[in-house]
Amino acid sequence: MDPELIKDCVHCGFCLPTCPTYVLWGEEMDSPRGRIHLMAQYNEGAEMTPEMAGHFDACLGCMACVTACPSGVQYDKLIEHTRPVVEREHARTPRDRAVRALVFALFPYPRRLRLIKPFTRLNRRLAPFLDRVHPTLGALAELTPPRSRSRPLPPLVRARGPLRARVGLLTGCVQGAFFPDVNRATARVLALEGCDVVIPPGQGCCGALSLHSGYDAHRFARRTIETFEKAGVDTVVVNAAGCGSSMKDYADVLADDPGWQRRAECLKVRDLAEFLVELGPVAVRHPLPVTVAYHDACHLAHAQGVRSQPRELLDQIPELKVREIAESAICCGSAGTYNLFQPQPARELGERKAGRVEDTGADLLVSANPGCTMQITAAMRRMGRPVMPVAHTAQVLDASLRGLGAVR
Amino acid sequence: MTVFDRLDALFPPDRVITDPVRLRTYECDGLTYHRATPMVVVLPETTEEIAAVVRVCAEFGVPFVARGSGTGLSGGALPRSDGVLIVTSRMRRILSIDLDQRRAVVEPGVTNLAITEAVRDRGYYYAPDPSSQQICSIGGNVAENSGGAHCLKYGFTVNHVLALEIVTPEGEIIEISEDDFGYDLLGAFVGSEGTLGIATKITVRLMRAPESVTTLLAAFQTIEAGGQAVSAIIGAGIMPAAIEMMDALAIEAAEAAVACGYPAAAGAVLIVELDGPSSEVEAQLAEVIAICVGTGSFEQRVAASADERAKIWKGRKSAFAAVGRISPAYIVQDGVVPRTSLGEVLAGIDALQDEFGIRVANVFHAGDGNLHPLVLFDDTAPGEGERAEIVSGRILDLCILHGGSITGEHGVGVDKARYMPRMFTDDDLDTMQLLRCAFDPGGRSNPGKVFPTPRLCGEVPRVHKGSPGEIF
Amino acid sequence: MLGHTGVMIRDGGPLDAVGGVTPRWVAQPESVEEIAVVMGACADGGLAVTPAGGRTKLGWAAPPERVDVLLDLSSMHDVLEHVAGDLVVRVQAGIPVTRLAEVLAKAGQALALDVPFPDATIGGTLAAPSPGPRAFRYGNARDLLIGVTVVLADGTIARAGGKVVKNVAGYDLGKLFTGSYGTLGVIAEATFRLHPIPADRRWLSFECEGWEDAGDLLRSQLEPSAVEIDHPAEGLSTVAALFEGPAAEQRALAARELFEGGDVHTEAPAWWGQPPGSPLHSLRCRVAPSVPDGISVRGSLATGVYLASGSTDLDAWRSALPDHARLVGLSGDLTGDRWGPIPSLPLMRRVKERFDPERRMSPGRLAGGL
Repeated sequence: MDPELIKDCVHCGFCLPTCPTYVLWGEEMDSPRGRIHLMAQYNEGAEMTPEMAGHFDACLGCMACVTACPSGVQYDKLIEHTRPVVEREHARTPRDRAVRALVFALFPYPRRLRLIKPFTRLNRRLAPFLDRVHPTLGALAELTPPRSRSRPLPPLVRARGPLRARVGLLTGCVQGAFFPDVNRATARVLALEGCDVVIPPGQGCCGALSLHSGYDAHRFARRTIETFEKAGVDTVVVNAAGCGSSMKDYADVLADDPGWQRRAECLKVRDLAEFLVELGPVAVRHPLPVTVAYHDACHLAHAQGVRSQPRELLDQIPELKVREIAESAICCGSAGTYNLFQPQPARELGERKAGRVEDTGADLLVSANPGCTMQITAAMRRMGRPVMPVAHTAQVLDASLRGLGAVR
Repeated sequence: MTVFDRLDALFPPDRVITDPVRLRTYECDGLTYHRATPMVVVLPETTEEIAAVVRVCAEFGVPFVARGSGTGLSGGALPRSDGVLIVTSRMRRILSIDLDQRRAVVEPGVTNLAITEAVRDRGYYYAPDPSSQQICSIGGNVAENSGGAHCLKYGFTVNHVLALEIVTPEGEIIEISEDDFGYDLLGAFVGSEGTLGIATKITVRLMRAPESVTTLLAAFQTIEAGGQAVSAIIGAGIMPAAIEMMDALAIEAAEAAVACGYPAAAGAVLIVELDGPSSEVEAQLAEVIAICVGTGSFEQRVAASADERAKIWKGRKSAFAAVGRISPAYIVQDGVVPRTSLGEVLAGIDALQDEFGIRVANVFHAGDGNLHPLVLFDDTAPGEGERAEIVSGRILDLCILHGGSITGEHGVGVDKARYMPRMFTDDDLDTMQLLRCAFDPGGRSNPGKVFPTPRLCGEVPRVHKGSPGEIF
Repeated sequence: MLGHTGVMIRDGGPLDAVGGVTPRWVAQPESVEEIAVVMGACADGGLAVTPAGGRTKLGWAAPPERVDVLLDLSSMHDVLEHVAGDLVVRVQAGIPVTRLAEVLAKAGQALALDVPFPDATIGGTLAAPSPGPRAFRYGNARDLLIGVTVVLADGTIARAGGKVVKNVAGYDLGKLFTGSYGTLGVIAEATFRLHPIPADRRWLSFECEGWEDAGDLLRSQLEPSAVEIDHPAEGLSTVAALFEGPAAEQRALAARELFEGGDVHTEAPAWWGQPPGSPLHSLRCRVAPSVPDGISVRGSLATGVYLASGSTDLDAWRSALPDHARLVGLSGDLTGDRWGPIPSLPLMRRVKERFDPERRMSPGRLAGGL
C-alpha cells in the first residue's frame, strides 16, 4: 500500500456518494476515504484484523470513486495492492476458503464453466438449499442464467465490404459460456463495419477475476498477450467491461518483468463501443422502435472511462430512445466475484439498481457486462418483478445493422 | 453501568462503533490537520435515537459531537476523545416534498444535492450550493450556515431553512420555526456549528428553477482589471447569480488538472452567471459584456448550452483539488473583505508572497468579497509549512483590518477559534456565550469549537454593579 | 437616579406610554456609549427599561409588566457608513426607515424592506418586524441584517456579524434579537445588505371572488417580487403582483395572460403593504385560510404571511385554521388567547433568563411573560 498514493487523498469526501457500500451503510470505514484511512493505519503498523479485512473485502472495486475524485487519487491501484495483503495476512474460515477455491477453480476456465451449464436449471431450484450450506453457493445458483444454445465461433470472420481493420476478439469466460449470442453479435457488428475478426480458439481467462480479488493474474495475462500476438491483429476488441479493464492494466500487472511489460504495452486493447466510435460508422443503421435503459458497467464507465461511446452508438439507431438510469454511477453489486463472496450487500445493491432500472419504464435493459446483466435480472426475479429483457450493446447494434426490426 | 452499556442497550451492535481501527477512520473531517479519535461512534436512524444518546451524554456528563458527511473545512466535526460522535449519515430520508408550498422536509444526513435531484425534473431546486454539494449533508449545512457560489443572489442556508426539529443538549426534542412569534431562534441556531444542539429534521425552501441561465467567461490581463469589472457590474445595479474570479496561478492549476481551456495568458478570469426570466437575462448579459470590455477584458465566452456552462464551471469547481497538481501541499483559507477593498487586500497578499517566499493562488467569490487564497508549500522543505501557516494567518489579519471576516462559509470550528478574539471583543464573545448557555448549560454540545477557551456557564463573565452575583 | 449619567432625561407622560403603561422617565441617549451608561444606571437601580424608536408599534404585542425608563432612541438617527460599492449600510437604530431610504436612493440603492409606518425606525423594524410584500423576493429584516450592536440589560455593549454580507464567524445575535420586542436588550446599531433600485417596476392587479390561488404565477418562471392579496371584510378581493427589472412590463403582461385578465400599473395599489386596520392580528398560513365574518386580511399569497384586522375570537378562529397555521393578536382589543401555540417557547424562556436574568427588559411583552 503505497504511502505516496495514499498521500494524494485530501479527505474531501467527494467519493462517498458514489461508493455502493457507503450508500448502503453510511459508515466511514466502508467508504473509499475510510478504506484509504485504514490502509494508512496498516502502514503505520495497525494489524490486519478481521474487522479491517472485512472493510476491504466489502469494497466492490467498482472504481466509481476514481471517477469522482477531484484529486486524482488512484484508488484502483491502492485496492489492487491491498487485496493480496488481505489474502496473505487475513485467515479466512475453512468454509470461506473452500468456497473461494471452488469459484477460482471454476470461473476462469471457460471449459469447466460450460460443463456446469446443463445443471443451471437444477441449480436455481437448489438455490435455497445451497444458500444454507454457504451463502456464496446460493448466490452462485441464483445468478446462473438459463441455458442458451452455444455454437462455437469460427476462428476468423471476414469483413463485409472494404477492409478497414483487423481485430482480435476476446470471448471471455462468463460471456463465452453463458452469453455466446453476445460474442456472435459482436463478431457480426465488427464484420459489418469492415473488420476482419480473429477469434483465437482456446483463448483462456484474461485474469480479471483473479486480479480484482487479490489473486495472482500473471499467468492469465501472459497467456492472453501471447495468444493475441500470434493472431497478428491491430487491436484486441473486448465486449466484457471487466475483461477490458484488466487487459488495459496488463502493463501494470506485469511491471515486475520489463520484457513482458513491454509486450503488454504494445497490445492495443479497446472496448467494443470505444473501438466502434473511433472507427466511425459505415454500415447502415436500420430503425429499432424500442426504448432502452442504458446501464453503465463500472468497469466500463469508471475503470475505462467509456461513458459517452455506448450512448453515441445507441443514439445513432433510428427510432431508438435511450433513457438514463438514476444513480447511474452506483454499482449494481455484481462487481466480478463480489456477488459470490458478499452476497448480502450484493443483493441489496442489485435490488436498488433493479428498482432504478424499472423506474425508467424502458422496454429493454442494455449493458456491456455479463455480470451486471446476470445480477440485475436475478434481483428482478428475486423481487418477484417481471424480468426486463436484457441485451448487450453489441446485440442492439447487430439487430439494427441487420435490419431485424427488434432485438432478438 | 457505563456509557458503553447504555449505548449498547439503545442500538444494535452494527450501529455502535468501538473497534479502535474503525473509530480512527472518524478522527477528522475535511480538515485533516486536526485529529482526535472518538471514544465511541453511534449511527442513529431516528430523532428519538439521537435524543436518547444525548440524554445518556447528559447523564454521564460526556460531550458529544454531531457529524454528517465529514466534509467540513474548519474541523467543526472534530470528535472528542472523551466523547460520543453522533453520525447522521444513515438519516438520509427525504420525508416530504410539497411543491405547492415550495418546501421539503428532510433528515439531516440527506445530501445537499439530493434535495435538488428529487425535484429538478419538476422544475424546482434547493438554492444554496456549496462546492461539496454532492456529498455534504444538509445537517452540516445547517450547522455551518453553508453558502456557495450562488449565494450572492440567493443567500445562505439560513435564508432557506424554514423550520428545524432539534435535539437540545439536554436531550429534548423541540421544533423551532420562522413562524414562532418572538426571538428568531431558527436564525440563531443555523450557523451555530453544532454547539446549540443537533438538527434532526430540516424544512427547506424549494425555489422555482429560473427560466434562463447564462454563463459568461471573461479574461483579463490583470486581477485588478477583473476586480474593476466586478465593481462596475454591481455598480450598474445588476445582481448576477454568481461572480467568481481566479488568478493566473489558480488558472494554471485548473488547466493542469482538468484542461478547462481558459484563455491562454489570462492574468485573471471572471465567471459571471446570470439567471432569471429570459427577457431580464438577455438585457443584463449585453450590459455585463460591455462592462467587461470597458474594463479591459480581452476575451469573452458565453456558454450557449448546459454542456458549455459545465465546461466553464469545471475549471472553477476543480480549483481547490487541482492545486494539488502544482504544489505538494496547500492550505485552503477562507476570509471575507468588503468588495471595495478587494484590490488592496490582493495587493497585500502579493506583498506577503514576496516577504515569505510562499506562493498563493487566489480563487474567490468576487461578488461578495469571499476570498479563498490557496497557500502553497512543500511539506518536505524545512520551515516552509510554518511560513505558509504564517502567511495564511496574516491573510486573515488583512481581512479583519479591512472590516471583513475570518470566515465566509467554512466556519470557525476548531481551526479558527483562536482568531475570534481578533474579530470580537471579550464582551462580544461573552454575550454569545449567554446564548450558548441558554441552550447548553452543561457545555456538552461540540465543546471546544467556535469559541476560544469558553467560560463555564455558571461563571460570571464580568463584575457588574447591579446584578445579584451568581456564585455558580 | 439617572441624573448622573449625563444623558438627556425627562419625566415620562401619557404620550410615552407603552401599551398603556406610562414610564417614570424618558432617556434620550445619543450614542451607544450613552445607552450603556443609562443601562448600567438602570441596572444599579433595578429599573425596567423599554427601548423605543418611532413609537409606531409600542402598542403591539402584550403590554410590559412595568416600565421605569423609556429608552428613546430617536436622537440616534445617523447613517454611520454607506459604501455604495459594497451595497452595505451601517446606521444608528433610531434612524427612520424613510430617511434612510432617501439617503440610499441618491446612490440608486435601497434597503429592500417594506415598512408601512413612515415614522418607523430601523431598531423598531428589527425588534418588532412587520411583514412586507417583497419579503418573498428579498427576505425579511433578519435576512437583510448582517451586523448588529446591542446593549444588554447590564450595560454590556456587544457586537455580532460585521459589515460584509458573507460571514459565519460567531453566533448571529442580530437574528436572535429580531422579533425580541425589547425583551433581550437594546438594538443600538445595525448593518444591512442593500439592493440596487430596480430599473423598472410594474404591478399587475385584478379582482377576484373570495380567496385567489396564485399557484400558476408562482409555478411560472416570471419571478414576481411579491404576490399580495387584499381580502376585505366585504366585497371583492384584489390580487396584485410586483415585477421588478428592466423587463418588468413584459413580464407583467405575460403574467396577465396567465390569469386571463387584470391591469398593469406603474404604481402600487393603495393598500399595498398597508396594515388592514385595527385590531390587528398576525396570521401565518400556507393554504387558503378560512376567514371569519367581519375580518379583512392582507398579505402575501407567496409566503403565506398576512396581517388581519377586525374583532373576532382568536381561539375560535385558530380552531378553524390548519394545525400549522399561527395566529397572534398584535394590537387593539382582543378576545381569546393572544399567542396560540409557540413550540419553541421553552427555549426562548431560557434565552431570556440568560440575557436578562432580572427581567428588567420590557418584561412580559412576549408570550410566556418573556
